[in-house]
Amino acid sequence: MAKYAMVIDLERCVGCRACMEACKVENDTPQAVFWMYVFRFEEGRYPNTRVWFLPRPCMHCDNAPCVKVCPVGARYKRPDGLVATDWERCIGCRYCEVACPYGVNYFNWKAPEKNYYLDWKDRDLGPVTHGATPPYKNPDLEKPYGPERRRIAGGGHLKGVIEKCTFCVHRVEKGQTTACAQACPVFAIQFGDLEDPNSTVSRLLKKRPHFRLLEEAGTQPRVFYLGGHPPGGEVRQIEGVKARV
Amino acid sequence: MTARGEASRFETLPYGVGRLTGGWALLVVALLALVGWGAYAYSCQFVEGKVVTGMRNIGTMGGATWGLYIAFNVYFAGVACAGITVAALIRLLNLNALRAVARMAELLTVITLILGAFSVLADLGQPLRALINLPLYARPQSPFFGTFTLAIAGFLFDSLVYLYLAGRRDAYLMARYDTPLRPLYRAWAAGYRDTPAERERHRKTTFWLAIAIIPLFITAHSTLGLVFGLQVGRPGWYSALQTPAFVVLAGVSGVGLLLVIAAILRGYLREEQRLGTGVFRWLGAFLLVLTLAYLYFVVVKVLTGFYAGHHHEQQLTQLLLWGAYAPVFWGSVLLLALPAGLLLLQAITGRWNIPALVACGVMVNLAAIGKRYLIVVPSQTHMSLLPYGPGFYAPTWVEYSIIVGLFALGALLYALFVKVFPIMDVPEEGVR
Amino acid sequence: MRTGLMLLLVLGGFALQGVSYFFLAAPWGFPPSGVEHSNPRVPFAAAFFILGVGLVFLGAVVYELLPERGEG
Repeated sequence: MAKYAMVIDLERCVGCRACMEACKVENDTPQAVFWMYVFRFEEGRYPNTRVWFLPRPCMHCDNAPCVKVCPVGARYKRPDGLVATDWERCIGCRYCEVACPYGVNYFNWKAPEKNYYLDWKDRDLGPVTHGATPPYKNPDLEKPYGPERRRIAGGGHLKGVIEKCTFCVHRVEKGQTTACAQACPVFAIQFGDLEDPNSTVSRLLKKRPHFRLLEEAGTQPRVFYLGGHPPGGEVRQIEGVKARV
Repeated sequence: MTARGEASRFETLPYGVGRLTGGWALLVVALLALVGWGAYAYSCQFVEGKVVTGMRNIGTMGGATWGLYIAFNVYFAGVACAGITVAALIRLLNLNALRAVARMAELLTVITLILGAFSVLADLGQPLRALINLPLYARPQSPFFGTFTLAIAGFLFDSLVYLYLAGRRDAYLMARYDTPLRPLYRAWAAGYRDTPAERERHRKTTFWLAIAIIPLFITAHSTLGLVFGLQVGRPGWYSALQTPAFVVLAGVSGVGLLLVIAAILRGYLREEQRLGTGVFRWLGAFLLVLTLAYLYFVVVKVLTGFYAGHHHEQQLTQLLLWGAYAPVFWGSVLLLALPAGLLLLQAITGRWNIPALVACGVMVNLAAIGKRYLIVVPSQTHMSLLPYGPGFYAPTWVEYSIIVGLFALGALLYALFVKVFPIMDVPEEGVR
Repeated sequence: MRTGLMLLLVLGGFALQGVSYFFLAAPWGFPPSGVEHSNPRVPFAAAFFILGVGLVFLGAVVYELLPERGEG
């Protein structure tokens, strides 16, 4: 059975936020919802400041608090390590959101509007889109996945239901990598199978020292960070996205 | 029978049952209007989604995802637990002085449990799905399993049974009057005959029910505390003290509200004899002990957070003591300390003053609401373990309206019950 | 007979609660690491649990309401 994990190299990340954009387009996430989010941090006092960046997808924890607390089992852990949200079963209690130490859950406070970002019907865009399927029409997002046949890919976005990063389950099931890893221009984000000793993620973790966010919380996340250090109390976020529905 | 005759038939019923006064009718109309307004607010929320509330996502959206609805759910559940526990203690410890308020307390439990269930439903994003998915899929590992099955469903059933059984004798006595409500009383009495054997059986059953209620109350309210206390990702929630503090504050708010209700009924029914100072002295003493116990918890929590602790725990303590939430915190502490002082004064001098007790009851309930709010909200807006930056939560008219509507619903149900069934035990001599 | 029925309901109620909690509902996971920890083994297990709670208190109602053998 595969054991998926993500490895993010903080020494390569330049804070361009292309991963955020790619995730949005791939999963058609609604306004102000950031399944992938990139922190811009500043430490120290001027003139001795240092700015660095931290991409934050869902951690897909092995000891996920969100899985433990879901009252109806809509949030569950797959054998391959992905923590999935069944948007047909979710009752919108938001317990997973308060339980998550990383703040990766997004509740749909209203019915999201489709077609937020680009009018794919615009004739001028024809040469650009080349008749590609718009994200909100991607049938992969609506399909059920896994032997349990649950709808866990990005198609949900229903009013009153929770959603979060799915590690692009609809792409992973087809053998592709996640949208954020695909889009990163400096290959800072790697996704792969830890059970495969030759995968990039396995080799990176063997070679370089790494850490995980909030280790002391005991959640055993599946996202590893190379280089850099965990954001402690002296770190401040700057240029945060001002996004509130 | 003429209308005059009808009215005169109700004249003889005890405790104002059946006598619909103008004042009562006006109250019911006003409460119905408030309930209607709350329902309208809920319909807005149901149609447009929770975007009409002040709640927003934790993290990048800088909001609180659990707000007034959850705070009041905890508040109502707390009051419910206290109501039935007072009733149970009366029977277990033979507190004859408090027998007059037993049914008031039982009714308080049933009604506030209903309100608690409604406030959770108001909070859910997909309430209709929940009505099916919770009984179908509920997982025991989630603390919500306990709150849904034990704290709401189980407790509601339990307190309805208790209210029913405890009221059988009075239903039998009321059925001896010739009134239009006779079929109801007969059905409630269900063949009760006031024989010594029956009375003994009734005493045994209610005694054992009372014993069963105490562990149920502690388990049910503890699961509610565990909903918060087990969350390692939320500084301020993750604490072993959370659950016992919940239980004690439940007692404070419940006894306080019972005091207020008893005083209102005393005035309305002019029952200065039955609801005399004896009753209020006991309730006041209970309230004093519970309030002091809760203040002790507050002191311990603040001291611990202040003295040492995780970076986040210290931050939370500072936030409460002199940060954004200081007004609510100090307001709640004052609204607990002041009644504690007043109650202590009355206990020491031995002179219990009913208006002062009512004021204490109101103050501790306001404090309980404030403390529930302080438990639910600051840990979400300010206590993210990752450095998202502070958030804010400002409830909107929708949330306030729904909460007001819930209180109005509770008062309405109470007012209706009082006119249909005697709110206190019917004395034997009252029956002709 | 009345006492017997009451005991049956009370014990049966507790038994139903225990069975539905431990054997019918979703199993606890330490930690929950698979789909089986998010699905009840039997649908509506929670409803059975609540039924069990109800049966226990129904026992009290039965004990008080049913006439003793020999009474009119």
